[in-house]
Amino acid sequence: MVTLKNVTRRLGPGVMFHCPDFHADAGARVALWGPSGCGKSTLLNLISGLLRPDAGEIIVDGVDIAKLSEAQLDGFRGERFGFIFQTFNLLAPFTALQNVMIGMRFADVVPPREWRDRAEFMLRRVGLEHRLHARPGTLSVGERQRVAIARALVNRPRVIAADEPTGSLDPKSAAAVMDLLLELCEEERVTLLLVTHDRALADRLPSQFSCHDLVKEAES
Amino acid sequence: MSLWHIAWSYLWNRKLTTALTILSVALGVGLIVSVLTLREETQRRFEQEGQAFDLVVGAKGNPLQLVLSTVYFLDVPTGNIRKDILDALRDMEDVEAAYPVAMGDTYRGFRIIGTVPDLMRFQPGGSQPYALAEGRYWERPMEAVIGAQVAEASGLRIGDTFKSTHGFIQVPGADEHEEQYTVVGILRRSGTPNDRAIFCGIESVWDLHAHHDEEHEAGHEHHHPEDEVTAVLVKLASPALRFEYRDRINRNFNAMAAIPIQEIQKLYEQLLGTAKAVLLAIGYLVVVISAMSILIGLYMAILQRRRDLAIMRALGATRGEIFGSVLIEAFWVTLLGIAAGQALGMLVCAALGRYLTQRLGFHLSAVVWSPDLVSALSAVLLMGMLAGILPAWQAYRTDVARDLAEP
Repeated sequence: MVTLKNVTRRLGPGVMFHCPDFHADAGARVALWGPSGCGKSTLLNLISGLLRPDAGEIIVDGVDIAKLSEAQLDGFRGERFGFIFQTFNLLAPFTALQNVMIGMRFADVVPPREWRDRAEFMLRRVGLEHRLHARPGTLSVGERQRVAIARALVNRPRVIAADEPTGSLDPKSAAAVMDLLLELCEEERVTLLLVTHDRALADRLPSQFSCHDLVKEAES
Repeated sequence: MSLWHIAWSYLWNRKLTTALTILSVALGVGLIVSVLTLREETQRRFEQEGQAFDLVVGAKGNPLQLVLSTVYFLDVPTGNIRKDILDALRDMEDVEAAYPVAMGDTYRGFRIIGTVPDLMRFQPGGSQPYALAEGRYWERPMEAVIGAQVAEASGLRIGDTFKSTHGFIQVPGADEHEEQYTVVGILRRSGTPNDRAIFCGIESVWDLHAHHDEEHEAGHEHHHPEDEVTAVLVKLASPALRFEYRDRINRNFNAMAAIPIQEIQKLYEQLLGTAKAVLLAIGYLVVVISAMSILIGLYMAILQRRRDLAIMRALGATRGEIFGSVLIEAFWVTLLGIAAGQALGMLVCAALGRYLTQRLGFHLSAVVWSPDLVSALSAVLLMGMLAGILPAWQAYRTDVARDLAEP
């Protein structure tokens, strides 16, 4: 499903990211874990096409995304990936329902006439049927992350890229959100790549990938 | 959930900034709309009146003064001419009509014009500027027909009487004639200078001044013995004959002929043309400043929501869609600014129109879609869109990973 071979990316003067080998099967749930600054978010960004590699192969769902044009990569990302961020990243001017619909607006996967029904379904699925028209500012942090999960899954993506999804939540909300995320990924048979610095959280996933040695001083 | 909706939502999300930017565009547009509308309308109305008569013949002096005083009732006449010039004009082959006018008195600042009954039947271009709203035209000396605005301002009704004041300027203790005019008719409002004029038989003016001159031994500048008139309004067989007849009259008579429309157009080009250019320049300057405020407002907004743009890109939005959504925001702001500016311009025109109706007797419409106005508004829209390009380009260049990583 996701394979990286000898992927390198210059991060700054004298700092190089290098991932010699990474693989995750379809439907796998993998924790990318390590301390802050170890390169785990860079790895996730490279896999999801938010960053371009300087060298190497990144194969996602059979496609080498390093060879896609900018426009092809935009379309590929919208269709195959769902994103969940530590700070939720909901769009403030829009309601919960609209935030989920925007996920479909740019992805071009679900026909427009189905956007509303699909968005309502996903919000019901994450337990927010009573908060459809609430704006992000009026939602609790737990509710915001549920909206983000609904938005990430609304296009039926092949991969969920989750970067510290529980990092801003209290332990109780974090546990509830993780339960929901794992349940939905299982249900939708979607590959979950979850970045965390929390070993305990990483241990909740069946696979772990240590990111300790990904960022190195560049050889002169 | 179109790009239009997304752009509108972001504008709505920062209502105050958006409203202030729209207001700044509206001020510039309002100024442009007012200047262009007032110019178009006043010029149209002045020219409409100027077209009514082909020539005005009066005492030698300034031709513009002659036209303004006898066609628009705005200035002091240049003097009097001998009545036999009227007879000679009437004998010329291409002169369809020649109406004498005699002036010298006013009532509450409204000018009293002695003329012949034929003028009341004159219908230039099919219009009826002398049509009666009530009453009848004068039939005997000292009977008067008053304009609609005169009736409104003075409260005079049919059967009322009034005394005229000698001269054109209202001063305390002005010389008032003993004889009284009786109102026999009120003209329908025509939106022309006739609205603020009082018409009577030319004999009434002559009689009053003959009497007046007997009382004042020294005589007066505006005396009207029966062998003199202030001016003659001439209608020719064809407008094409205007220049030929003007030259013939100026050559052969001890009088001056002026072409009203030509004098008015000269006035516009020399005086109002410059004023219009200055006001338009100010209007465009305000619009350029407004365009700058659109640019700065949108640019700052883009900087503040770089993360939102990065999220949209992560969700699959192309660079083109991001660029387009910002440009649409500029379009919305400019369009709303133009709409608000148009409304503002109409308010200004309506207010100034009321003033001009009272001052000049010209009724102006507040909305005139002239080609100049359409071009000006298109230019404003283009400027607004150009102002959106830099912020849109900034948004286009969003670095998704970096902007998402920023706290």
